[in-house]
Amino acid sequence: MKKILFLALALCLMAGTAVAADTIKIGLMAPLTGAWASEGQDMQQIVELLADEINMAGGINGQKIEIVTEDDGGDPRTAALAAQRLSTQGLVAVIGTYGSAVTEASQGIYDEAGLIQVANGSTAIRLSEKGLNYFMRTCPRDDEQGLVAYKALKNGGYKSIAILHDNSSYAKGLADEAKTLLEKDGANIVFYDALTPKENDYSAILTKMKAANPDVVFFTGYYGEAGLLLRQKMEMNWNVPFLGGDATNNPDLVKIAGKEAAAGFMFLSPPVPQDLNSKEAMAFMTAYKKKYNAEPGSVWAVLSGDGLRVVAEAIKATGSTDQDKLVAYMKNDLDNFPGLTGQISFNDKGDRVGDLYRVYKVSADGKFMLQP
Amino acid sequence: MKDKRLVIYAVISVVLLLSPLFLNAYWVDVLNNVGLYTILALSLNIILGHAGLFHMGHAAFYALGAYTTAIINTTYHIPILWLLPVSGLVAGLAALVVARPIIHLRGDYLLIVTIGFVEIVRIALVNNVFGITGGSNGIFGINRPILFGWKINKPWEFFYLIWGFAAVTIFLFNRLENSRFGRALNFLREDDVAAEGSGINTAHYKLIAFVIGAFWAGMVGNIFAAKMTIIAPESFNFWESVVLFMIVLLGGRGSIRGVILGAFLVLGLPEIFRQFATARMLIFGAFMVAMMIFRTEGILPPLPRKYPIAKMLGREGSA
Amino acid sequence: MELFIQQLTNGLAVGGIYALIALGYTMVYGVLKLINFAHGDLFTIGAYLGLTLLTTLGLTNYLGPFGVVIVLALMVMGLVAIVGAALERVAYRPLRQSHRLSAVVSALGASIFFQNAVMLIYGARYKVYPHDILPRTAIHIFGLDIPLIRLLMLLTSIVMMIGLYLFIQRTKIGTAIRAAAIDQGAAKLMGINVDRVIMIVFLIGPALGGAAGLMVGLYYGQINFTMGWLYGLKAFTAAILGGIGNIPGAMVGGLLLGVIEAMGAAYISIAWKDAIAFCVLIIILIVRPTGLLGERVAEKI
Repeated sequence: MKKILFLALALCLMAGTAVAADTIKIGLMAPLTGAWASEGQDMQQIVELLADEINMAGGINGQKIEIVTEDDGGDPRTAALAAQRLSTQGLVAVIGTYGSAVTEASQGIYDEAGLIQVANGSTAIRLSEKGLNYFMRTCPRDDEQGLVAYKALKNGGYKSIAILHDNSSYAKGLADEAKTLLEKDGANIVFYDALTPKENDYSAILTKMKAANPDVVFFTGYYGEAGLLLRQKMEMNWNVPFLGGDATNNPDLVKIAGKEAAAGFMFLSPPVPQDLNSKEAMAFMTAYKKKYNAEPGSVWAVLSGDGLRVVAEAIKATGSTDQDKLVAYMKNDLDNFPGLTGQISFNDKGDRVGDLYRVYKVSADGKFMLQP
Repeated sequence: MKDKRLVIYAVISVVLLLSPLFLNAYWVDVLNNVGLYTILALSLNIILGHAGLFHMGHAAFYALGAYTTAIINTTYHIPILWLLPVSGLVAGLAALVVARPIIHLRGDYLLIVTIGFVEIVRIALVNNVFGITGGSNGIFGINRPILFGWKINKPWEFFYLIWGFAAVTIFLFNRLENSRFGRALNFLREDDVAAEGSGINTAHYKLIAFVIGAFWAGMVGNIFAAKMTIIAPESFNFWESVVLFMIVLLGGRGSIRGVILGAFLVLGLPEIFRQFATARMLIFGAFMVAMMIFRTEGILPPLPRKYPIAKMLGREGSA
Repeated sequence: MELFIQQLTNGLAVGGIYALIALGYTMVYGVLKLINFAHGDLFTIGAYLGLTLLTTLGLTNYLGPFGVVIVLALMVMGLVAIVGAALERVAYRPLRQSHRLSAVVSALGASIFFQNAVMLIYGARYKVYPHDILPRTAIHIFGLDIPLIRLLMLLTSIVMMIGLYLFIQRTKIGTAIRAAAIDQGAAKLMGINVDRVIMIVFLIGPALGGAAGLMVGLYYGQINFTMGWLYGLKAFTAAILGGIGNIPGAMVGGLLLGVIEAMGAAYISIAWKDAIAFCVLIIILIVRPTGLLGERVAEKI
């Protein structure tokens, strides 16, 4: 009996999602619950803010946009369902998502549905090497960052290097990429291992790493762990320089580590809007602060905003919502579009092109300073 | 009474069978997930529900099956469905090796050991053990299954594959439940010592239950790998084992219809609660507590075993 | 050798927290034979309540650092104890007469509920305790730098555990708890109010978990809504390792688990550290099926 009720209820819910034809519907797939909920909720805030702005200004070619958000839970199985759900709702494109493995689980589904996906935080190389026509991303790839990390470490003149990752698909990819390049160059990798994310005590790892006596530590994981590592490193009176990957780019890092411990920490990242003096970036910062009374969290959430802006631009320029036309426009004709994170162009694989990465350093008062 | 129940079952089956006709791809895929977890939970039900072994590491066997399929398929290109029994065998064998020394542990100690096992498997997968599991990237590029020349690709095609498999599972496990073996398991669940005293080799029976459950979970892993075409360690973490554990207990230990309903609720409700956005899991948690409070033995606990002696006698009398 | 001692202290500090949480598991298990999977989330709630009280009450204006910590700890323990007792009343008491696995599902549901409630109330981002509450001096012994707080943390855990042990062994209520753990029916016949005993257990266990949450917040600074699940699992492992239901067992199990993890990370592999810990656990259970200090229970016939 309950099962019949369940089915009936399911049917009712589906009936409720009838389509209103006069709006342009754009999907957002984001981790609203689960371990990456902070990123996902930030993505939602930013995309909704930008959509509201576009609608206030009269929409795209007179049509309003409507954002349809689905939770991917930060896990592949939920993401596959979210993708199925989004691909049946008459959308023009889907923005998202954050984790590479999560994006991968949804890629095939969007491609089969002929739906454009603009990922914002998924940097794993292979995502764009499969020849999927409708896949694009506003974030750079791991190999690009690996190269930048290699250069930064080399320019620093470090001889013995410790590399620490967190065994996530993203962090391990970056660590491997940098390790290969550094070893080819004859650098001495004295330590290479993975920590368990979401723990609180990394003193055992730091003690072990200290014994290996590296000149520098390259940590490719996320800001939460990076903050704790810095804090506990200081408590041990260990003064080794730390370099972080782009997942450490989050103001919460300084909060967790404390200003004293965070000072001098360097990381690689695409530039955040705070550091760009373009008209778009400044307008976005003002609007975000006004609406949410805070600064946007990580650059990844901002990149989802860029995803929406790129799609909107393509619809406006082509005057069409045909997926093939839009993809062709974004890959071929969109050139140096002024994004919130610098200029945006895509190559044929759907990857964002250009030298995106910058080196940042945390100043004594906890600010992220863009290094020349 | 029995006839009425049969009618309900028939109606539900027909509705389910026809559902891809009027459901969109998303809901069909939800039903696919429900189907996979139904089969998984039914296999766990043999161990947890019938033998009464506290096993919270079932995802490990599921993972072993999925990885077996993925590794062999991507390296030797052997068709997916041929690997179905192979995946089962690997998982079953692993269960035999692992369970042998721990089968005598008392309830909660067994629980933590099985949790430990599923964590060890996951960590091994993440660390790319033997260089064949692809680490945290997992394995991608797994082929789609081909059944009698028909390539199974779309959600509705998987729907019939999965629910066909589920139907076979239900039939076989129903037979198993009512066999001598099933009765022996129930006996040792209720009273280990008395069962031993009645000449049942309890360790032996528990072990067989474990191996059967694991074998079946391994086969589900095969289908899961083919459905996702990419598998990664995150899909097999401890939480998945907990989900299976909840399905069996929420539905009713040892009851096939209960477990099926449990799978519908545990997998389906978070989807229905999607409209509550970030609060959906909160509501789901509250729902679970409420369900257990009001139906303390699960929603559909097993019916008491019936031995229709009157009927049997009557038949003899007329003969 | 220096390295070894350093890692030993690292392990003991983590182990102290595991032990403190494990006590809650063990006490509840001892009386109800229930694995309270929501216990880890009570720990999380403790950490978040501590932060709220710390930032809203402005205690630092009136009291010195240790005064602040003590007042805070008492308030957090009191509040989490109330949450724990409410949990027992709502989610576990109706299930007391049914199969004990039913209560496990209820506990898992409660865990999901608490975790998401914390997320909805406090947001999904990391929360951070103020940095200047505790002095950050390190003690210099045997050529090692050991942060003072680490030692204090370990000391606090041990003091709390000894206190609890004495409470259980020496007081009248403690005796009642032990009686209810052995046989609820018989305890009732002896005039013990078993309902009240269970309520007391659900006040003490969560209070200790809440205290552990506060300690983690004060020392590590960073807290998030999912942390209870990981700590809960570790603490449950610790409780089993020592022999669940046994209070000294939880202490030994917790400290030992912390040390095994640190040593596994130091001398074998960091990435495999949790797997190593579980392997050791499984081996110990194969040799001693009821944990290190667990009693060998004769099968009832």
